[in-house]
Amino acid sequence: MRRLRALEPLAWIGPAVVLIAVVVLWPVVEMIRSSFLEISRVGVVRGWNGFDNYDKLFAEKDFADIMVRSVVWVVAVVVLTVVISLALAQLFNQRFPGRKVARWALIAPWAASVLMTAIVFRWMLDPEVGVINQIRLRLGLIDALGGASADQLGDASTAMPWLVFVAVFVSVPFTTYALLAGLATIPGDVYEAAKMDGASRPRTYWSITLPLLRPALTVAVLINMMNVFNSFPIIWAMTHGQPGYSTATSTIFMFILKSSDIGESAAMSVVNFGMVLVITAVFLKISRWNRAVA
Amino acid sequence: MRMRLVGGAALGLATVLVLSSCGSGASEGGGDQAADGGQVTLKMVAADYGDGPGKPNSGENFWKGVVDEFQAANPNIKVDVQVINWNDIDKQVATMIQNGQVPDILQTGDYSGFVADGLLHKVDEVLSPEVSGDMLQKFAEFGKVDGTAYGIPFVSSARALFYNKDLFEKAGVAEAPKTWDELKAAAEKLKASGVSQPFGLPLGQEEAQAESFLWMLGNGGGYKDDAGKWAINSPQNVETFTYVKGLVDAGLTTPNPGTKDRKTVWEDFGAGKVGMVNGGPMSIPIFDAAGLKNYGVAPIPGKTGPLDTTLGVMDWIMAFNKNGRAEEIKKFFDFFYTGSAAEKISETYKLLPVTNGGIEKLSGDEKLKPFLDALPNASFYPFQDEKWAELNPAIKQTIGGAVKDDPAAVLGELQKTAEAG
Repeated sequence: MRRLRALEPLAWIGPAVVLIAVVVLWPVVEMIRSSFLEISRVGVVRGWNGFDNYDKLFAEKDFADIMVRSVVWVVAVVVLTVVISLALAQLFNQRFPGRKVARWALIAPWAASVLMTAIVFRWMLDPEVGVINQIRLRLGLIDALGGASADQLGDASTAMPWLVFVAVFVSVPFTTYALLAGLATIPGDVYEAAKMDGASRPRTYWSITLPLLRPALTVAVLINMMNVFNSFPIIWAMTHGQPGYSTATSTIFMFILKSSDIGESAAMSVVNFGMVLVITAVFLKISRWNRAVA
Repeated sequence: MRMRLVGGAALGLATVLVLSSCGSGASEGGGDQAADGGQVTLKMVAADYGDGPGKPNSGENFWKGVVDEFQAANPNIKVDVQVINWNDIDKQVATMIQNGQVPDILQTGDYSGFVADGLLHKVDEVLSPEVSGDMLQKFAEFGKVDGTAYGIPFVSSARALFYNKDLFEKAGVAEAPKTWDELKAAAEKLKASGVSQPFGLPLGQEEAQAESFLWMLGNGGGYKDDAGKWAINSPQNVETFTYVKGLVDAGLTTPNPGTKDRKTVWEDFGAGKVGMVNGGPMSIPIFDAAGLKNYGVAPIPGKTGPLDTTLGVMDWIMAFNKNGRAEEIKKFFDFFYTGSAAEKISETYKLLPVTNGGIEKLSGDEKLKPFLDALPNASFYPFQDEKWAELNPAIKQTIGGAVKDDPAAVLGELQKTAEAG
């Protein structure tokens, strides 16, 4: 009887363990295995391929650019998202008339499908009929519709900022809510004490709000980083990674490779996976370092 | 403190795992059903020629009509059709095969990739001689690998130049251009009269390989030379793309062609924003939907005169041998080609037939005539070369760069991909 009792926890965590093993671990194992296989384009496994898939991947002319771009993409989107969300969370934490409506409105970009949002933005930027270009035309920023100057998604230098903008746009709601939840956990008497001590507002924010917000901030940044790194629909719907591969991140590249060489694509997935692990580890390390200083 | 850190790291790792495993493609279930009570179920995968699920011309609706009729005549054979859009079908079929859920019948854009792995029935195992005898000879030839036929031509299409007669009149251009220089002159006049895209040039991901090929043909080039060797960066092709680059730089084309899909450009043509564009029978419904009436169809201009060939595209239907259902598949194929279905598909989607009988039936259609005439002398992608399938995605992604950056360098890079391995 007692022995059975000892096994009881297993019954509770068992399903979760099985779920993680089947849904998470098994695909990871399969992914790594596939990256060492020679797989014909139509999906037939032709045998082991050693490191050939990786050699081919690393020899791709655009590989290095794509990896650098992926990191820049993640850093740009996450930093902008967090900065904007910190401000928004602060704002929404104040009492003002219509706060409830404003809070609800913030959910909209989050609730809408990311793919849909991306397609809407692509149409708004259409060189012939896009509303953004209509406005730019009226403001005199461009001379005519339909030409190269109205085609911001056609060139990497103008397309990338728009891609980042849309990614930030869809990431801000979640981040703001995560931070808002964090703000709600900070007790009011800490602020009162700070007031008594005569701390200025910036000083209060820097020394009280931010440190106490760290758990929420850490989770928000972590989830955003992984989300953005693996983000596919925005870039795919808006530029397909084109012109050439000049707006492609590693996730987009992986998808493109899938139609020419499945094994190489799997190798890209493994590299991608490794990148996420590294970025996460680096981030956790940095946030711990911060804690020691504070 | 320490505990919490470990917890945080564990949370991070778990989230990494969950999020990163969301990305990989989902496979479709189903597949292996036991034949019960003598009934056989054929699993078929088909591409969608229509405007997608829910639309009246969707592939689901089309195939439901065909299958209902077939099942009424053959109560012992059930056909399950899964329709997949063109963007995803190749990847999804590859996933099915990888997972051992091979369909019995596949209708898509290529068959040759399956031959090397020995997955297909030979054509004479699944098609009656009367039916295969009626196929256009040239098309049937392209269904062979090393002399044995595996692919059955399904539908075809050809390309020609569409031009907006109203815009031409406004710009003072009398007739459709026949040479590149005439094309350039017409484009300049169109530009001067306020047309934002005188020549529609879709060199983006959707179908860059088609637009590129049409231009290459105009200068006696192509993806391969006459000896059958890859010749993507041949002097003719470099010259061709240098010429096109000149048009782009002068603002006479769609801006940033390397990022524009054909669908967008065809829609712009339909909306009266584009003076001329290469299109096919399948673009006619798009122009109609946009309300464009007054357009002409002409042979595609080449460097010194109109092309005497054009790009022909064939789609294929094929039978997989894994489940050993050749007999049932044969019944279905014969039914498809001899009944009303093959005709109906041409009518619904403005695709060209692949049989002599079918071409005869359609020869009265004014709008389709230029394309039917062009079919017998069409040129095709080198899709029987196993390398083509790997090369094609690279062409789609990067060949647009040949009219933006250095043509020789971009084409040279593609040539390297073609020759590798």
